[in-house]
Amino acid sequence: MSPTTQGLLVLVVTLAMLLSGVPVAFGLGVISIVFLIFFQGFDALRVVAETFYAGLNDFTLVSIPMFVMMGAAIGSSPAGKDLYEALDRWLYRLPGGLVISNLGACAIFAALTGSSPACCAAIGKMGIPEMRRRGYPDDVATGSICAGGTLGILIPPSITFILYGIATETSIGRLFLAGVMPGLMLTGLFMVWTLFIIWKRGFRAHAPDFRYRWKEKFQSIPKIAPFLAIIVGVMYVLYGGVATPSEAAGVGAALCVLCAVLIYRMWSPTKWWQILRDTTRESIMILTIIAAAVLFGYMLTSLYLTQTLAQSIADMHVNRWVLMALINLFLLVCGFFIPPAAIILMTSPILLPIITAAGFDPVWFGVIVTINMEVGLIHPPVGLNIYIVQAIAPDVPVTRVMWGTIPYVLCMFLAIVILCVFPEIATWLPDTLMGPVKTK
Amino acid sequence: MQAYVRGMRLLSQLCGFVAAGLIAAGVLVVCHMVFVRYVLNYNTIWQTDFTTYCLIAATFVGSPYVLMTRGHVNVDILPHYSGPRTRYWLAVGAAITTLVFAVVLAVLTAEFWWQAWSEKWVSDTMWRARLWIPYSSMPIGLTLLTLQGLAELFELVSGRAKPFGVPDAEHLE
Repeated sequence: MSPTTQGLLVLVVTLAMLLSGVPVAFGLGVISIVFLIFFQGFDALRVVAETFYAGLNDFTLVSIPMFVMMGAAIGSSPAGKDLYEALDRWLYRLPGGLVISNLGACAIFAALTGSSPACCAAIGKMGIPEMRRRGYPDDVATGSICAGGTLGILIPPSITFILYGIATETSIGRLFLAGVMPGLMLTGLFMVWTLFIIWKRGFRAHAPDFRYRWKEKFQSIPKIAPFLAIIVGVMYVLYGGVATPSEAAGVGAALCVLCAVLIYRMWSPTKWWQILRDTTRESIMILTIIAAAVLFGYMLTSLYLTQTLAQSIADMHVNRWVLMALINLFLLVCGFFIPPAAIILMTSPILLPIITAAGFDPVWFGVIVTINMEVGLIHPPVGLNIYIVQAIAPDVPVTRVMWGTIPYVLCMFLAIVILCVFPEIATWLPDTLMGPVKTK
Repeated sequence: MQAYVRGMRLLSQLCGFVAAGLIAAGVLVVCHMVFVRYVLNYNTIWQTDFTTYCLIAATFVGSPYVLMTRGHVNVDILPHYSGPRTRYWLAVGAAITTLVFAVVLAVLTAEFWWQAWSEKWVSDTMWRARLWIPYSSMPIGLTLLTLQGLAELFELVSGRAKPFGVPDAEHLE
């Protein structure tokens, strides 16, 4: 059987397996084992255990549960509510201040938790009822929070970037930095669109008939300041090259748990277990997919499928931007169905040689991949954030939430186009702070 | 059989506690390592390996708990949009696939562990850790995953668990 036929067979079987509802990690594991036996015989099984173990035997992976714990500690505390209130108290007089508060809170909470669903749930719980109470249309209120939540995987620290960094051996610090400006740009695009649509529909965001006193404004700061200080500290340590991502994340996680416990008096063991349980469940889920994806990658490489695909695409001699558009389309379609962690771990090692051969920057591509994954989070049929928001506002029909997210999906497409035209938006910050990438 | 399912639930819950403890230990050891390395300016020997092993052990030992609490992410579009009968068979297929994965890997990792034990493998780091210790988490965790997988399959076949946790009426044909 030729590698092309083998590749098609693997593709069809993998898609069928994943879509049938099998847990992604176990599905990938079984497919890898079956194809290794099918094409190479039972002897190939000798390396399976070692490969599976090797997939996890990497100190960089330690940063994943640590960052997840940071997010779980902040997510299980009322820090999201305080952050939202603080921004609202400072910005409520501005026209459209509520929109800016909501999306701004999403962007900051994204930096605190690195998780899109957590971001969506924490800010949405306050933001959506408040926007609806003040007369914002339902689709704008829900759509903007769905979109704002996706910033969690783009604005650092981001688990998605860690996974991409591990899968492609790209510097995680550099990826984190590359996400900052596109994250801010996307936040800006979301804000501009929301302000435009509420203005166009004739809605004027009047300032309420009360004013917050300066004392109330300043009172809102002390509770959230320690968390912001931890994030700034983690970023400084990471980018300053003082410590590794795992060390920075470990200390950041311990400090976030400590702050959550001390500031919000979370003395009950039930609360502590809640943080640990959420961390354990999410971390094990991601780490099992990583180990299975490494095995899957080994199977693809040992059957020469990765190399054949890269070679056949190179032989097509298509324009590099046509290639990039096709890759984006492929990622986008994958993102509609498959969770971001699985897509990145499965496809990045295959796509990396193709995009580097076409002359694209792997760090820049990491940002593009992540924005594609963000689209999947708010686009049907999976669109995790849609269901989180719908649970917060159950009286808004799910179709209305979906229609509300469409303009934000277009904002993300626009962001991808802007990043293609001006790649410096992603690469300038890492190149300036960490120096240009040394080519081998 | 119900006693087996209840017993497995308890055991998987216990696995969850152990995995959470291992992750918490990992966080504390990383903090200790940062203190020793950057405050005391000493070299660290065992901390990097220990934290990595904790994490590996947590992944395998905690797997039955994550399976029990439906934490292993799946793509449930097809089950969601199919009728009760198709959904049931898809769930049975998913449970059997999970079992096949767990059994095959449990056997392969047990062989791998045995090699490390009998040939006295040690890590190639300064700590020279005996590798059978971290490797043992793989066959243990995967055997427990197999047992939890069997419990899940039994619950499904006996009608005590809904396929993919979706009520019968909730589908779009």
